[in-house]
Amino acid sequence: MDRRIFLKKSGPALAGVSGAMSLPILASCSSQDAQADSPLAGKKWGMVIDLTRCQSDCTACMDACRQENNVALHGDPRWDVHWIRRATIRPKDESSGLEEKSVLLMCNQCDNPPCAQVCPVQATYKREDGIVLIDHHRCIGCRYCMIACPYNARFFNYKDNPEWPNKEYPRRSHGVAESCHFCAHLLDKGGRPACVEACEQAGQRALIFGDMNDPESEIAQLVKEGLLKRIRADWGTEPKVYYQGL
Amino acid sequence: MKRSTILTEKNRSRWATIFAAIILLPIGISAIGLDVSRDAEMPDVFLEPVDSKWENCIRDSTEMRFRHMDVLKEIRDKVIRYGIRDEVTLAGCGDCHQNRDQFCDRCHAAASVTLDCFGCHYYPESASERTAIPGGEVKNG
Repeated sequence: MDRRIFLKKSGPALAGVSGAMSLPILASCSSQDAQADSPLAGKKWGMVIDLTRCQSDCTACMDACRQENNVALHGDPRWDVHWIRRATIRPKDESSGLEEKSVLLMCNQCDNPPCAQVCPVQATYKREDGIVLIDHHRCIGCRYCMIACPYNARFFNYKDNPEWPNKEYPRRSHGVAESCHFCAHLLDKGGRPACVEACEQAGQRALIFGDMNDPESEIAQLVKEGLLKRIRADWGTEPKVYYQGL
Repeated sequence: MKRSTILTEKNRSRWATIFAAIILLPIGISAIGLDVSRDAEMPDVFLEPVDSKWENCIRDSTEMRFRHMDVLKEIRDKVIRYGIRDEVTLAGCGDCHQNRDQFCDRCHAAASVTLDCFGCHYYPESASERTAIPGGEVKNG
């Protein structure tokens, strides 16, 4: 065997051996990237608000939210905090033939959240399962997130909350911003958001909640049908709250 | 050139001694003061032995006494950043340590640490009536 033939044959053999030896290392790298140990990995929570089922005089979801999350209601619109609220939208002129509509508004849990981008102290962030939430220990109360949010979903605590209905969950002190987080503390324990439970108990079933990454879930199938609308969908924030009948 | 009448060759060493004394005076005072305060004002609460009934705490009881703030922050970051809620909550501390006056406030008052945990987090009420006021400070009465 001359040198030329030896090199020709040993090249592929060496490549094969080194490739086989690096396989376990490569495999361990990819599993670290996916963070398989995190309980949040692979989930993407979303909500559908079915306005055709929602009753304009019902306040079940809003009341349940205040009870669960200790959301302050001072009785003055300047200081009231809302995680989920109702707004009435009217057509600009009577002749358009459009009807007046009552719409539920809440934090849209953007996939590309402007509030998290602008937060100067990283108090607002997107969790691995897509929920946007605030670390109130870090929040300095600069209100930049309130300005950045295209949905006016963030509210500021100008005052301390005098009520404390749910002692299991902390309230917010004066000087921090807050908004809906899909009841992340209940989701982590395997539950569902308080508003969704309340809506179902009230018999409306207008709020449909689920994991959009699970193709079997009701919400994934509704989104797949493509009949749902999102508010300001053209702004690139990719909200995860969808509307039916908007 | 006019020669100084105050700082002459003769009294230069005397001036140097006075300046050195002025510079070193605060250091001397603080050294003596620290020595006095160490004897007089060390709060007794930090010297009490850890009760053996707390040995089944979430961490070693001595570690909890000196590093509980770090332990709590560790748990906090796990909960709010990664959603791992497998450890104790602040209210859960109150399941065993029911008296907040004894468990939290006594040492923090001695160490002049203002707690702002309880403005937002619920802790089981202690025997004495209390009202939480803004900023988490506690008013008895």
